[in-house]
Amino acid sequence: MNGFMKDYFRKNGALMGWTLIILVGFWTVMLIILPQLYMFDLSFHPHLPPPEMGGPKDHYTLENYDYLVFGAPGNEDGYNKVDLLVFGRTLIAAAFVTIIDLMLCYPIAYFLGQTKGGGFVRILVLLLIIPYWINEILRAFAFRIIFGDSGVINEFLMLFAIIDSPIDFIRANVALYAGLGYAYILLMIFPMYNVIESLDRNQIEAARDMGASWVTIHRRIVIPYAKPGIASGCTMVFMLSAGALAAPQILGGPSSLWFTQLVYQWFNTGGNWPQASAYAIVLLVACLIIVLTVMRLFKVNMGDIGK
Amino acid sequence: MRDQPLLIRIGMSLYLLMFFTYLLGPLVLMGITAFNSASFPQITPWEVFSFEWFSKLFADDRILEGLENSLYVGFFTVILSVSMGLAGALVLTQIWPKLRATYYTLIIAPILVPGVVIGISTLVFWAEINRRLGLSPDSFLANGIFLTVLGQSTFIASYCMLVFVARLQRYDTGLTEAALDLGASHIQAFRKIQLPFLYPAMASSAVLAFLASFENYNTSIFTHQKYATLTIILSQKVRLGIDPSISALAFIIVCLTIFFALLNEVRTRRAQLAVANGAPVGVVTGGFKAPGFFAGNPAAVILALFVAGIVATIAISQVYDPEPAKSVLLKEKRAAQQLRIQALQQRMKERRMQKEMKGPDIFGGKTAGEKAKSGGAVNPGKGAFGSIWKSDSLKSVIPTDEKKDKNGLKSKSPGVNTFGNVFAPTNLEDAAGSRKKDAPKE
Repeated sequence: MNGFMKDYFRKNGALMGWTLIILVGFWTVMLIILPQLYMFDLSFHPHLPPPEMGGPKDHYTLENYDYLVFGAPGNEDGYNKVDLLVFGRTLIAAAFVTIIDLMLCYPIAYFLGQTKGGGFVRILVLLLIIPYWINEILRAFAFRIIFGDSGVINEFLMLFAIIDSPIDFIRANVALYAGLGYAYILLMIFPMYNVIESLDRNQIEAARDMGASWVTIHRRIVIPYAKPGIASGCTMVFMLSAGALAAPQILGGPSSLWFTQLVYQWFNTGGNWPQASAYAIVLLVACLIIVLTVMRLFKVNMGDIGK
Repeated sequence: MRDQPLLIRIGMSLYLLMFFTYLLGPLVLMGITAFNSASFPQITPWEVFSFEWFSKLFADDRILEGLENSLYVGFFTVILSVSMGLAGALVLTQIWPKLRATYYTLIIAPILVPGVVIGISTLVFWAEINRRLGLSPDSFLANGIFLTVLGQSTFIASYCMLVFVARLQRYDTGLTEAALDLGASHIQAFRKIQLPFLYPAMASSAVLAFLASFENYNTSIFTHQKYATLTIILSQKVRLGIDPSISALAFIIVCLTIFFALLNEVRTRRAQLAVANGAPVGVVTGGFKAPGFFAGNPAAVILALFVAGIVATIAISQVYDPEPAKSVLLKEKRAAQQLRIQALQQRMKERRMQKEMKGPDIFGGKTAGEKAKSGGAVNPGKGAFGSIWKSDSLKSVIPTDEKKDKNGLKSKSPGVNTFGNVFAPTNLEDAAGSRKKDAPKE
């Protein structure tokens, strides 16, 4: 290790070497590791006013996690049904959004990756990128305009007398799923597109020459080849949808909360930081477990993510 | 695609069309609502084409203040995350091989951690440091802009790092070695050899970092304190009540995005063409030659058309005055309202006529009744009885007394008429009703 450090400084010089170490050290230690550890630690502390922190009342406790599972002390139900339901629904809905996005994007990624159209494909890629640079809030706002009571869809349906009274898309969460799927669609397309683009067309030609059907080509050649891209896209979309806050706040129905909204409520409305930390940790751990399990099932490495 | 069955090709084209409608349709619709004068962002019913929401947008202090905060945060985030990302990428190429996988996982992890978690952890951690150091709660460590920059840089640096890693993979370390052998210092070798090679990556990662910072919501919502960024202001506006000035902002952002995307496309195409034609890049990128600029470059044509369209729109907005059209619309609306009021009055008259058929009112009781009603509307407190003491109602009462004997037989209930319908149940209702209506205002 010592030899390695000596080699490192010989290669970079003292000033460059130290600058790199300080920058990377600040990033990894002060921004990534310590804040997460401190939040983890805080989630095991009771909610106290600042002067009493570190005082005699400050001790390790499981009460914040207790609350998520069993509710407030003296709760007759036995379990904190409201919060647990929100938690479960968030994860299921995020998975649902991920699957919808995957199904929507696979044909596009395949088309873009395998077409040698030149200019046409470039224009399509450009059109794909444009919505991604529009603010998340504005994208959600656009869906409010479309799905609202007097929104475009309702007005259109009523114009042709298909329905008599407006359908409440917001309450039915249609707007939320459409908005979430829309928000992260690009993160699904690009990893897949990058991988499929590098697939040798001759493989597909050969399979077709040997009589493979259209379905078989995709099932046996394209999908196995694109697996890292698919895994990468699904991971991103799942994590981002489960951790989304803006879209549920703007598009969510009044009766259905997103788990991040609970975190936000504990933090801002309740001012209870330890409780909010506990909820955030639960969200983070649950998402990581799901993603790692799925990656293990599909035999994809961490190194493939983010390519 | 060309050698595929026709059915699949048609299906694919339809699918592409639907997909891009889903992708771009919402933005187009939102842009259109910015030009409708209706006070709710809507396309139907269309009122009048107007630019008023743009003026309202530029007069909105909170949005401008949010924009200012966003620019500050964006500026510092770009500096911090580009330098951390570059350092992270350089260290990745040199780190002890056994540590590399762990290190890579660590610096890529912030991309996968939900923004909410990063926001909370940044805030609680720096608040604790602030407390441990014994600083006041409003020291710079607890400053909203400082915390937002740190929170955002945590994961934006990872994006930058990925951009640098992609570029560094093509870097020949022999170049640095050669410079060192020729007597350059480490700083010189880095500044003169490696850094110029990384300029394109620095530019693209800076743009990426700024855009990511500008549109970030999940992290900033926890760390911003008093310094709300534009995104946060927008979210508050959208949640409290939406109006088309937000559509106007969206329209501007969409236009800027398209402009820069096309500009970038034109530059890339030009460089490609230059390489394809065998000319050195410097020749083509140097001078601006109009015909060459457009030759074989569809993106350039689109860009020119797009800019022309924007300029025309701005010009129209200076000349175009929606007021005449608006006043026409207002007149139409008023006329429609007038018709409705007339219809309502007609119906009320008919109803009253029917009532009077039961008890015909010959002695001007009706007028007194109407007076009572109007008095009631203006002065709810006096409504029911006030008009009795008015001279008019007295006048109408006096003749009644004289004529009573003559007409008494004809009217079925002369007593009612004597007091001019003041005690008619409808009158009381009117007065009570108007009192109720006015009560909340008072």
